[in-house]
Amino acid sequence: MTSIPQNQPPAVGAGGQAERTRLAERAEGIRRALVERPRFSLRLQMYLGFLAAFILSAGVAVALVYNFHDMENKIRFLEIVNDYVMEVEQARRFEKNFLLYGSNLSDALDSVFQAEQILTRNAGELAAVMGPGWSQVMLPKLRGYQALLERLGRLQGAAGAQGGPARQDLQARVRKEGQEMVSAALALLSKEKASLSTTTRRSRQILIYSLALLLVVLVLNAYLLGIRMLGSINRFGEYANRIAAGDYTPITPSRRYRDEFTDLALAINAMIQELENREAVLIQSHKMRAVGTLTSGVAHELNNPLNNITLTAHVLQEDYAGLSDAERQEMIADVVQEAGRAKKIISNLLDFARETGSQLEPLDLPHLLQETIDLAANQIKLLGIKIQLQSSDNLPRVHGDSQQLRQVFLNLILNAIDASAKGGKIQVIVVPADEPNYVAVKVIDFGSGIPAHILPSLFDPFFTTKGRGKGTGLGLSVSQGIVAKHGGRIMVSSQAGQGATFTVVLPVTTIPAELGEGRHPEPANRAKA
Amino acid sequence: MPEPLEVLLLDDEPIVGRRLKPALAKIGCAVEVFENPEKALARLQEKEFKIVVTDIRMDDIDGMQVLEFVRERWPESKVIMITGYAMMSLAREAMEKGAFDFIAKPFKPDDLRRVIAKAARALGYTLDFEAAAPEGG
Amino acid sequence: MSLIAISADSYPQGLDIAQRTAAALGYGLLGRELLAQVAADRGLPQEQLVQALEETPGFFGMRTRRQQELLLHIQAACLERLLADNLVCYGLGAHLYLVGVSHALRVRVLAEPQQRAAELAALRGLPPERAAKLLERQDQERRRWSSQFFQADEMDPAQYDMVLSLGNLEPEKAVEIICDAAGYRKFQAMTYSRKCLQDKALAARVLAKLMPRFPDIRLQASDGTVVAQVQSLKRDQRKKQEAVRELASQVPGVSYVEVQVIRDYFGQAAQSGR
Ligand SMILES: Nc1ncnc2c1ncn2[C@@H]1O[C@H](COP(=O)(O)OP(=O)(O)OP(=O)(O)O)[C@@H](O)[C@H]1O
Ligand SMILES: [Mg+2]
Repeated sequence: MTSIPQNQPPAVGAGGQAERTRLAERAEGIRRALVERPRFSLRLQMYLGFLAAFILSAGVAVALVYNFHDMENKIRFLEIVNDYVMEVEQARRFEKNFLLYGSNLSDALDSVFQAEQILTRNAGELAAVMGPGWSQVMLPKLRGYQALLERLGRLQGAAGAQGGPARQDLQARVRKEGQEMVSAALALLSKEKASLSTTTRRSRQILIYSLALLLVVLVLNAYLLGIRMLGSINRFGEYANRIAAGDYTPITPSRRYRDEFTDLALAINAMIQELENREAVLIQSHKMRAVGTLTSGVAHELNNPLNNITLTAHVLQEDYAGLSDAERQEMIADVVQEAGRAKKIISNLLDFARETGSQLEPLDLPHLLQETIDLAANQIKLLGIKIQLQSSDNLPRVHGDSQQLRQVFLNLILNAIDASAKGGKIQVIVVPADEPNYVAVKVIDFGSGIPAHILPSLFDPFFTTKGRGKGTGLGLSVSQGIVAKHGGRIMVSSQAGQGATFTVVLPVTTIPAELGEGRHPEPANRAKA
Repeated sequence: MPEPLEVLLLDDEPIVGRRLKPALAKIGCAVEVFENPEKALARLQEKEFKIVVTDIRMDDIDGMQVLEFVRERWPESKVIMITGYAMMSLAREAMEKGAFDFIAKPFKPDDLRRVIAKAARALGYTLDFEAAAPEGG
Repeated sequence: MSLIAISADSYPQGLDIAQRTAAALGYGLLGRELLAQVAADRGLPQEQLVQALEETPGFFGMRTRRQQELLLHIQAACLERLLADNLVCYGLGAHLYLVGVSHALRVRVLAEPQQRAAELAALRGLPPERAAKLLERQDQERRRWSSQFFQADEMDPAQYDMVLSLGNLEPEKAVEIICDAAGYRKFQAMTYSRKCLQDKALAARVLAKLMPRFPDIRLQASDGTVVAQVQSLKRDQRKKQEAVRELASQVPGVSYVEVQVIRDYFGQAAQSGR
């Protein structure tokens, strides 16, 4: 056979349709769960916080304004009362002069008039502070005093300088009234002074307390916002690490409400899905590459049954007439048998090459490994390599996707074949792993080994030491992705020149109920958003 | 009737021997068939076959070793390689080691007969190639 | 009994070696004269055939598909001729399509670089430094040409059984070495390698016929059986299969045609609206 290659893009597989629909439905379910929550956005929380602070400050301002107004009134009142007291005291001084020296009564009356003027002029202010009943208290007293003074004046004019008992009496009354009036005014003054100082103290307190309260509100606001934002940022950091490690579980709701981080989670879920699709394409394309490697072995192997059929058919055609019935029967039986053999040679490979949806099921590893070895059997035979499968009895099953795990082991076996010299030996061993609830599959070769300096980059995508066109360097990277999805690990130990051991550790089936749920068997680190 | 040309045929596929033995006999070859390379080598040790036909890929001893053995033991003999694993490198290696011809499986009985006839001519024999095919070569 | 395919970075120097080798071995020489016949037989313009062998597909040049087609015609005709043994083949790109034929000795002849530059300078009337620059460009283009049409790098020594540098070898000595190698048992023809050559010739013949109508076709031939792979949308799968079978069966030497359809997912996706 000969081929003339033409430029042609590789066909992209389209199988696994049902699987894809199922995945899409699951993604849609998660999306809906994320979206269908009451919305409480960060922006709203910020607005609310600032609004609360503003309302508080406004309240403080109003209280202060009110307080200042109060103080202003009080100061004004104090001024009035002060003026009044001064006038009244003036009047009393003139009264004293009048009583002692008989002079200036009109001056006293003048001052009383002034005092009365003050009261009537500021009637509004006074009423505001002392209530509407103020005029019953101050004015009558003033008027009473004025009346007494006038009577005293009249008495003076009529009875000359020295007075009789009536005048004595009147003088005493005037003095008493005057006294009372002054002390009442002074009492009022001191009462109002005390009240003013209460008001000042109050504004000071309002200021101090409201400042403290504002501080508390602001701190609370910052704290709540901080918790919310930093918590989410940390969570998303964890998601990023998880995704980087190859865990493509979508982010599911973790809180009762929806916010800007939900939008981020939605975007990340979309990204995860895209990544997952690409990984699936990568896995499939690397699988097809492995199939390509295997086909050369298969093609050669096929030539044997084909040759048997060709020879038999030609001999049958040539000698048909000369053959006995029994001989013809025998030849036909040979053809049938060889056709079956040919079919068997390719059916394994075709089965493996088929793109199937990923399906999780409990797997019997030794059986799976035997199938994988059979796949590579022609390749192995072609190079004269011996391969040996050992397994401990009664191994627990693992939970996984048989196609993908077969691909992992095939990659490891093909690598081992590549590393082995013609006529080398490869061992495949399945044993319970050192840690409980895990099984280990070891693929051991005795080939070229891996130098220590390339060990760290072994699993990097596109890392290969094989020549151009021989290796893509994706084998181990793809395998690691698959194994990580199964909740396992791949480890390697090697000494240059002494071969290499690749160990795949997989968790055993514990909860078969996970089967229908999804393709990620580790429920431990489900993501939440 | 000229004296028959002695041919040793080695292939681990039994059907090949079963079909080719009578097919080659028709053009005047006396064919000894072997499926086991070791037995074939033992036989080759003691007897010279003018023509040796051997498969290349066999389990224990491969056809190249048989070729080398024959070239050593019976330099006159013509060795024809047949293989399902034909590749340019293998073909060149076989020629290098002195194979007379190299045929890829699957082949028709006539293909081998033609090659054997050619080898026989090179050895100074004449085979009745036409005898085989009623409908012509 | 073998074939020698010579490839050279300088046409006149390679031709010289090819002629001398043919003469020394008493072999026939299959060179560019074949193109005249290809042109006559298949009704193609001869200049375009030469162009297809020499020029890199470019923006202003021949359309890639057309060039591929012309190259296939040359390939088919050349392989046909090569079925007769004992030929030296030169200037037809045979080193690129004889891969896998064990009795074809593929030789690369590297011209003395200065002489090559001088040749070019004389041909184009350029100063020597410019010519040297141009040579570099030419090599690059050859690389592109060979990987475009034959998926191989013509400049890569690994492509050849032997690389001879005329900078270090006299032409006579080079010819001697080639003749010597041609005598190695390794490069002798055998049933298998002749069959390989026949299969290649048949595949090229069928492909040259099918390419114009099915540009994305891939094809293998063995013993008169042709297996073709075409891309197709699901609905015109049958029609396409029939058309390929019909056309391929007309080629002499084809006894059975199998057509495999590769689903054209891109086309399908485009048709379904996303
Ligand atoms: N068993 C082994 N022995 C020695 N080296 C190995 C072994 N397995 C892997 N390697 C090294 O690791 C590299 C990366 O392997 P990986 O399977 O990822 O890619 P690859 O085999 O080169 O390419 P591909 O798998 O596509 O053929 C190889 O190129 C090889 O150098
Ligand atoms: Mg690999």
